[in-house]
Amino acid sequence: MKDVGENKIDELLELIWTLSETGNDSLNSVLADTEEEDAEKALEEMERRGLVEISGERISLTEKGRTMARGIIRRHRLAERLFSDVLGLEDKFIHAEACKFEHILSPEVTESVCTFLGHPPLCPHGNPIPKGKCCARFTKKMKPLVMPLKELEPGEEGRITFIAPKEHARLDKLSSLGVVPGSTVKLHQKQPSYVIRVGETDLALDEDIASEIFVKKKVME
Amino acid sequence: MHGHGERLEIKEDLEQIILVGNPNVGKSVIFSLLTGKYATVSNYPGTTVEVAYGTTTIGDKEFLLIDTPGVNSLIPLSEDEKVTRDILLKETPRAVIQVADSKNLRRALLLSVQLAEMSLPLVFVLNMYDEAKSRGITIDHRRLEDVLGVSVIQTVATRKEGIDEVKSKALTARNSSLRVDYGPELEESIEKVSKLLPESRANRAIALMLLSGDTTLTHWLHSNLSHEAIEEIEELVRECQRKHRGSIYYFVNKRRLEFIKKILDDVFEYRGPQESTYLETVGKLSMDPVWGIPVLLVVLAFMYAFVGYFGAQILVDFIEGVIFGEYINPFFTDAFALIPVALIRELFVGDYGIITMALTYSIAIILPIVGTFFIAFGILEDSGYLPRLAIMVNKIFNRMGLNGRAVLPMVLGLGCDTMATLTTRILESRKERIIVTLLLALGVPCSAQLGVILGVLGGLSLAAAVLWAGIVVSVLFSVGYLASKVVPGKTSDFIFEIPPLRVPQVSNIAAKTVARVEWYLREAVPLFILGTLLLFTLDKLGALILLEDLASPVVTGLLGLPPQATEAFIVGFLRRDYGAAGLFTLAKAGMMDPVQVLVSLVTITLFVPCIANFLIIIKERGIKTAMAIVGFIFPFAFLVGGIVNFVLRSLEVTL
Repeated sequence: MKDVGENKIDELLELIWTLSETGNDSLNSVLADTEEEDAEKALEEMERRGLVEISGERISLTEKGRTMARGIIRRHRLAERLFSDVLGLEDKFIHAEACKFEHILSPEVTESVCTFLGHPPLCPHGNPIPKGKCCARFTKKMKPLVMPLKELEPGEEGRITFIAPKEHARLDKLSSLGVVPGSTVKLHQKQPSYVIRVGETDLALDEDIASEIFVKKKVME
Repeated sequence: MHGHGERLEIKEDLEQIILVGNPNVGKSVIFSLLTGKYATVSNYPGTTVEVAYGTTTIGDKEFLLIDTPGVNSLIPLSEDEKVTRDILLKETPRAVIQVADSKNLRRALLLSVQLAEMSLPLVFVLNMYDEAKSRGITIDHRRLEDVLGVSVIQTVATRKEGIDEVKSKALTARNSSLRVDYGPELEESIEKVSKLLPESRANRAIALMLLSGDTTLTHWLHSNLSHEAIEEIEELVRECQRKHRGSIYYFVNKRRLEFIKKILDDVFEYRGPQESTYLETVGKLSMDPVWGIPVLLVVLAFMYAFVGYFGAQILVDFIEGVIFGEYINPFFTDAFALIPVALIRELFVGDYGIITMALTYSIAIILPIVGTFFIAFGILEDSGYLPRLAIMVNKIFNRMGLNGRAVLPMVLGLGCDTMATLTTRILESRKERIIVTLLLALGVPCSAQLGVILGVLGGLSLAAAVLWAGIVVSVLFSVGYLASKVVPGKTSDFIFEIPPLRVPQVSNIAAKTVARVEWYLREAVPLFILGTLLLFTLDKLGALILLEDLASPVVTGLLGLPPQATEAFIVGFLRRDYGAAGLFTLAKAGMMDPVQVLVSLVTITLFVPCIANFLIIIKERGIKTAMAIVGFIFPFAFLVGGIVNFVLRSLEVTL
């Protein structure tokens, strides 16, 4: 376990990364949004270590800082996925628990979790999970538990663990038709379009939508 | 395919009852039963794209009943959904009757939650109770009543079961006690936004819509709130979205679904899948990549046998040849012979006579074809086959910047392009709506025209028929392909609900066909008479010859047709089926050779369908787009006709 000061730096790196995802690189936003005490001092320390660059009102990550932040974010968001999809924890625990995990997961465990979850591209809140080596390698040594709906065979059933759409509108539309994590889907056919049954509703989908819905395959008795 | 959306004398002072529900749950069936007024009912989502109004009497009081397009969410994703949402925001109804498909209770409750947030007085109807039962579903409706805090009524609307109860309980409507807790953070934002909104019952709902990023409310905001308040709201929305680090809409829906799951655990029981019925088997085959094609061919063969053979040949021969040819026309010709004024005589029974031309064309030639088409089409609609066709053609449609969903307006266009243009509202992006509107106007022949064309082609050869269809389909496809490159915007996702295959009900098909035939008589026959009067006047003034001369470089030169074909094209501007009917008579009289027939048919097929269609394009797409579409179509039609003529003549094709 690292000492508290390191955790503080991790938290700030995470925050700067998250803000930069929305295009925000203002120092004031970092100071306003952080929950850490003595954040200014910690930022000075980070600048000294070459993790961030501060010029006037703007703050940005250096190459080194970015690499570290990327790892933290990746561990945090993977942990969130694990808690919400596999363990089914409630929303309010997920973020707090993931905050602890992001500091302690080793690279090996991180890759295993990522593979186990089927290399999910997004966290449960819809933010991107930075890719790791395992995602690029595409090794199938460990059979992913969670797979895209499109890899089911016709007739098979699965429980939706997460949906990672390219656009939010797609998620909204699917969710208003009852296609949400937790629902059970049965794949009827793949050609000429995907046809699935969710509850008592039959839906036709494009292939690329079917590849964005991730399911845990139901084992047939 | 008839004036579903017309607002015949809306009685403003009446209290309102509004029907709402997910798509394809039977709102229109219940509307018809309560008002005694037929609303188009079919077995696919999106039959109702316009609001229908009718009156119903409960006790001794009259109410205005409003039928709305189906919605899955009150944050609209398409135009027809927006129509419903806006009505619910604007009106203050005495009651809102939510119609639910019993087997899809989860989705219905997702809507109920939102209606409850709007504080609307509710009554809940569990329709299609029989289908749920046969699928092994039971719903504890007393307990559901307790949970919702409103009356729950079980119905099978198509068999009129439970309708009396709907009527007797409609006035017990009250606010539902459903309330989802969205957690302290979001609740606080809802509270803050609500306070900035003008006082209204629906504040919680509107606040949620705004927080979820609903942009369709912008107009409403600007007409109801000050600039400062809007800015303050926008800031709150941004803050909330930042705090949540993800889609609020998604979060909100998730909370709702979790909430509903608890209700379902309590009231909804599902006892495993039942044995599959033969309908399910046929349903599966009809969208199978291999079997789907023979099924489609069988459907087409049935359509051809019924419309192309029975309607266009047997019925037309009988009505035109026997009834009009041997009785009506001779009778009126004899009768008018007594009138000494030649002008009046000719006005009714001359070459361009109202009876001998307008009525003969519209009643004797086109009506039997339209009528048989409407019957066949009604069967297709009610069976639930059309959404399955959407699955089959999705990939082909992708090439035209569309998805499978667009097959509904396109096939509907084979019935009537005007109605189909209205149905483009079910498409989600503006790009798709423009492309489908263009293709409908350009080359999807409506039943009237298709029938006449099949009649003419039937007299030629199979090769001519195949060639005609091939040319029209390739033109449609190429124009669609090019339009998809030119029209800005993007194609929406193909996420499409498929209703179960059902055995069509004779009574609904009959009612629908009668309504559509009535509509045809009302809309089309006057235009036929107008067109005839136009020709009559031009002929009497000697202007017809002049026009034929003027048009001769195009008609006789480019297209290589006899000058008389000009008449057909002139009336073709009013209705292209009328134009086709004119060509039909020319062909019958042996005034055109097969190549000329084909060239003229291709040209008239590519005309804008009719004046009514043009007006609807203006209404739906705006005058600029409408003019652009029409400005493209007419020259293009002649150009394609010219090319066909040139190619066939150069290759010395004989048909």
